[in-house]
This record gives sequence, structure tokens and C-alpha cells, in this order.
Amino acid sequence: MALEQPAQPTLGDRIYDKLFHNYLWRSIFRTGYPNTPRNQMLVVATNVFLHLHPTRIHRTHVKITHTYCLGGLTFFMFLGLTVTGILLMFYYVPSVDRAYLDIQNIQTNVQFGQLMRNMHRWMAHAMVILVFLHMLRVFYTGAYKPPREFNWVVGVVLLVLTFLLSFTGYLLPWDQLAFWAITVGTNIAGSAPVLGPKTKFWLLGGFEVGPDALIRFYTLHVIGLPLLAAIFMAVHFWRIRRDGGLARPL
Amino acid sequence: MAAVVVARPALRPTPRARDEEVLVWPDLVFVEFVSALLFTVALFFLSFAMNAPLLDEANANVTNDPAKAPWYLLNLQELLLHMNPALAGIIVPTVWLILLGAFPYFDQSTAGQGRWFADANSIRNTVVSFIVGFFGTLALILWNSGKVALWLKDWFGISGGGQLAFLERSAALKDPSVVPWPDWASSIPYLWFNLKILDEGPGAGVTTFQKIDLPTLLVDIGIPAGFMVGLTCLLVYALWRIGWVLSRRDALITLMSGFVGVFLMLTIIGTAFRGPGQDLIWPWDLRTLEGIPGQE
Repeated sequence: MALEQPAQPTLGDRIYDKLFHNYLWRSIFRTGYPNTPRNQMLVVATNVFLHLHPTRIHRTHVKITHTYCLGGLTFFMFLGLTVTGILLMFYYVPSVDRAYLDIQNIQTNVQFGQLMRNMHRWMAHAMVILVFLHMLRVFYTGAYKPPREFNWVVGVVLLVLTFLLSFTGYLLPWDQLAFWAITVGTNIAGSAPVLGPKTKFWLLGGFEVGPDALIRFYTLHVIGLPLLAAIFMAVHFWRIRRDGGLARPL
Repeated sequence: MAAVVVARPALRPTPRARDEEVLVWPDLVFVEFVSALLFTVALFFLSFAMNAPLLDEANANVTNDPAKAPWYLLNLQELLLHMNPALAGIIVPTVWLILLGAFPYFDQSTAGQGRWFADANSIRNTVVSFIVGFFGTLALILWNSGKVALWLKDWFGISGGGQLAFLERSAALKDPSVVPWPDWASSIPYLWFNLKILDEGPGAGVTTFQKIDLPTLLVDIGIPAGFMVGLTCLLVYALWRIGWVLSRRDALITLMSGFVGVFLMLTIIGTAFRGPGQDLIWPWDLRTLEGIPGQE
């Protein structure tokens, strides 16, 4: 009886082998293509971005109606806002003389500038709405209950940071809408008992919205608050893992 | 010879936890990827269809009327029209955020976690509290803006007027012709020295803490705070008496759903129904104003 010989590798197999089994590729990706359970778990465990996730998850949590991806989408908006925000920063100078002209310039002279500005604006609104809906989802599924109490508190802090991020960005176009919205907003802050006027002065760098307010809001918007939000997000995501993943019936 | 019988457990009587699990790659990563893709595409389309607003360059000498905060703060701006600014703008949101953060420390039971509306009464508590919060806020806004009184007068010829003007709007209580306040009522000393702290800037003046203006205190702080705390407690109490609120979780659901109703109504009114001078108008009369996406 003749022994069965293995089939000769086809051209496709050879090309695939050259592309994905070479020295360079393997130095970057430690695992094979994730088409076996072992590789699928390894790819999640060994990738710095994916390893926010566990390798396995309870089947109820991949049901779209359980979370509607609201928390993840909020984070995705944050990432998208970072990307579009960096692109806008290339053209925008936060001075009273230039801010408004720069926005006009972005809209008219910069390729895809109007699109980037629109994306940044609508993503910001979407993030506020999504973070609010995410809070409602967590509340109505009772996911704040022990042992996730503290992560709920971190979430409340992130809700406030989201509002502040959006609010500080609102002034930057330096148009009438921005100017008067921030005037109204900081007047609200200024009405606080005892510390109000001081808070308003500290926010604006003066008694009314002007050049100092613009640079303060800009600094808070592009570095101060995003850094703070990133730190709290790191804690938020870490605690989800530490507290046993998503809440589910005990 | 008797066969050796080896006791074996029945075929896995209770499923192991691991049997209920799926792999993150591909099951979860795929869902995340698709939802991110959908949102990216949707936002691209939105950005093609609608431009971010840009009005004239900022000018401190030309006041926008109405000047409006960003939409997610318009609920606070709406509250400002009805009460003391410190109460509306600072104390109410601060107290609410602290309460919100304290939720898990108030309701420490682990029952019903991880399921939508797990408790028996949670859906009806949610619906009823939302409706009470939503329409209750509308009723209070209409009442305090004098609209109810106006309609009563226009449609039925009923007018409180004079002594009953406070039924039309609470601010009328400050008026000496409605309530005969004695002279001393508007400056009741409560400190034996004039405390002056944090004197800030032109116009702000000195914050003094020596005297109370009783009518103003009552109308701007006492009545609104009383309504906010009192009506909330009344709602929870009423639902407890009819047997719908049975646990701390139920009480929180009532509180949260009522809040969502109030928040939504205040935001809607502040966004779409406040025109020049912060008067109540219909949204279609608002079309030339700013703050509406796409209006430039």
C-alpha cells in the first residue's frame, strides 16, 4: 500500500508563508493567526490594547442589548476627539486676534478642515449624550452594586470631566455663540456662595471673558482635562477587570 | 464475578461557569469593531450634512439675546430663572452629584444586579417617576412664569390679581402690596458684626453676612428648595404607601427616573422654548437665533 503523501503547498500557501511566517512579522506578532481558540486567547492576552479585555467573557455580555456598547463608544468618541482635536491644533492659535480667523481659515482654506471641525463638534455632543446614556444603563441594570461601588464614583467624576471638556472647548471658536455661552456659564460658577467670585476669576483670569480666559480654556481643553480624564479612565477600565468584569446575576 | 461498578457523576449536572463563556476574540471584539464603524460612518455623514455653527466674531459690546449656555447646561440656566443663582447654579448640581456618587453606599444589596429592571416594581416606578418629574417640572415652570394665570384669565376670565397674585408667580410674595411685610423683615440681623470676606472686583461688591432679607430668602431659596426637596420626598413617600417602593433600590430608581424627567424637561424648555429676555416662546419663533446646530 502506497503511503499517502502530503499535498504539495500551493502558490497561495507559499505567499502566505512568506508574508506572515517570516522573521520580521514574528518579531512583531507573537501569536499565529487567531483562528484557533488558543491563538484567539493569546492575541487578546499579548496585545497591549486588547488586553484591557479578559480572554473570555460571559455570554450575556456580548448580547448587544445588555450594554449597547455605550461605555466603549464613549471611549471611542474620546479617541476620535483626540485625533480630530490634534488635527485642528495644527491650525488654531488661541489668541483673541487669531482664534476666529483661524476657525474661518480651517473651514475655507484647509483641506477637509470643515469636515474635521464638524466631526470634532458632533463627536463632542455625541460623547456627552453617550456618557449620560451609559450612566443610565449602569444604573438600570444595577451594575453599581457591590463590589463596583467605587467604580460608579469614578464614573460620576468622568461624567463631570466630560461636561468640563465640552464646556472649555465651547469658547475656542471665539464667536458670539462661544463668548456669550461662556459668559453665562461662568456667571453660574460665579454665583456660588462665598467662593463664587474667586472661582470665576480663577476660571477666566479676569473679571470677564477675554484673552486670558481664552488661553486658560484652551490649556484646560487640550491638555489639562484630557490628561485628568485619561487617568480616571485608566482607573475606570482597570476597576472593571478587578471587580470581576461586567455585573451579572449572582 | 460481579462487575466493578465505578461511581461516576451524572453527565455534568450543573453547567460549569466556563461553559457559559465565549472568547473575547472574535465574539466581543467583532461587536466593538462594528459599533465603532457604525458610529464613525454615521458621524461622517452627519458632518457632511451639517456644519458646526460659527456666528460673528465675539464682541463684548453686542449682547446676544437670549445668551445661552451650552445645551447640557441649559437645565441649570432654566433653574436660574426661578430661584437664587447660588442655589440653582451651584448648590443643586453639587448636592445632586454627591447624592449620585453616594447611590451604591445607600443601596448595598447585591440583589438583581446585572439585569435590566430586575426588581418587581422597577418598570412602573421608573415610568411613573419619569412622568411625574417631566410633567411636574413643566407645570411648575408654567405656573412660575405666570402662563397659567394668563391662560386662566384669557380663557375663563379668572384672575387672582391683588392679594392672590402669589398664586400666579412666587415672586409676587416679595411685593409689599401682596404680603404686608413689616419694615424689619427685609433686614434681620443674625451676626453681631458685619462679616466681610472675599471682596471681589468691580460690581461684585462686598459679600456681607450680617442681615437676612426674609422675603427674598423665602421666595428665592425657601420656596424653591422646599418644592425640590418636598416634592421628591412626597413622590417616594406616595409610592411607598401604595406598596411600589419596597427597598432602597426602588427608592433610588424613583429618584433617578424623576431626575431624568426633570433634567430632560428643563433642557428642552431651556433649549427650544426660551427666546429674547428668556421669555417663554414657541420653538418656531426661535429660528433666527443661535445655539441651534446648523443655524449660522
